[in-house]
Amino acid sequence: MDRSFLADQDVIAASRKFVCIRLATYENADENEVLKGVFAPGGVLQNTVFSLMSPDGRTSLVRAGRSPAWAFGGQVGRGIHQQPAEVIGKMAQTMEAIALAYPGKDKPVGRVPLPYLADLRLALNVAAADRLPLVAVFGNAAQRKQMEQRLEPLAWADEFLGRALYVPVTQQDEFKSITGLKTQAGYVVIQPDIFGLKGKVIQEISLLSTAAQLKQSLSTAVGRHQPSTLTYEQHRSQGAAAGQRWESKTPNTDGIGRSRFGPRPRP
Amino acid sequence: MKRFGILLGCLTVLSQWSPAADQIAWFGTWKGGLAEAERTGKPILLISAAPQCHNVPGVW
Repeated sequence: MDRSFLADQDVIAASRKFVCIRLATYENADENEVLKGVFAPGGVLQNTVFSLMSPDGRTSLVRAGRSPAWAFGGQVGRGIHQQPAEVIGKMAQTMEAIALAYPGKDKPVGRVPLPYLADLRLALNVAAADRLPLVAVFGNAAQRKQMEQRLEPLAWADEFLGRALYVPVTQQDEFKSITGLKTQAGYVVIQPDIFGLKGKVIQEISLLSTAAQLKQSLSTAVGRHQPSTLTYEQHRSQGAAAGQRWESKTPNTDGIGRSRFGPRPRP
Repeated sequence: MKRFGILLGCLTVLSQWSPAADQIAWFGTWKGGLAEAERTGKPILLISAAPQCHNVPGVW
């Protein structure tokens, strides 16, 4: 993820024993309050928050902060993407130890749900940032329920795990920033544009697809996705030059706490 | 100095740049993720970031 801790294969392997939640800061007032309860110097929500938590979401099991480096050491700021191997290893080992302490239930009741994003506007942006295709589950409540039952096992299968993002869509007018939509209901695989403000349909898959048909169609569609190849600096400079702007739904308070409360504590 | 600080803030959490590699599978909402953690009894890996830098979207 941050090209260091969260992209490490041992951390990714350990993450399969966790429920991984990634929120978009400043996009939901209720989630802002949750994040402030985890880490907010002086009560001010910063751009980034990181923690490992108990299953009820009430207790941080490591030192919460802006990034894994706050809990496990390593570089902050420039150099963040070249963390020492031993520091990254410390995160993976800590996660494995926590997983032993919280092994989970033997037979959880119910199905593993799709890891939905909140809405199409945000999902497009996040998919662009992740450089992944976006799968919209489009239909009324009954149709979506039917589609979710078929899609859930695939979304958590090795072939697709972490290789697409998902969002529920109810109304056709929610697709106003997406070109190429024809269906009235179904699975809609979307290629976000580079900046995640627009998108185009890669493939529409019938809501009547069998599990085998869905797997085949989804594999084909995901394979058609073309991720951006811009570097971080190119992305930022080209976006600024093109006037591509994102307005968060709640005020951005990043930096206010930092100047008042000084640098991060050293582990 | 403030501008430099904002840049570092943007860089603190970035998405994977090689989508072909294995990645963490993220729940995108607190409500959905917490419900799954409570259902399974698994611990939570929580991270949050604004999907923009200097207001340019499409980047963590």
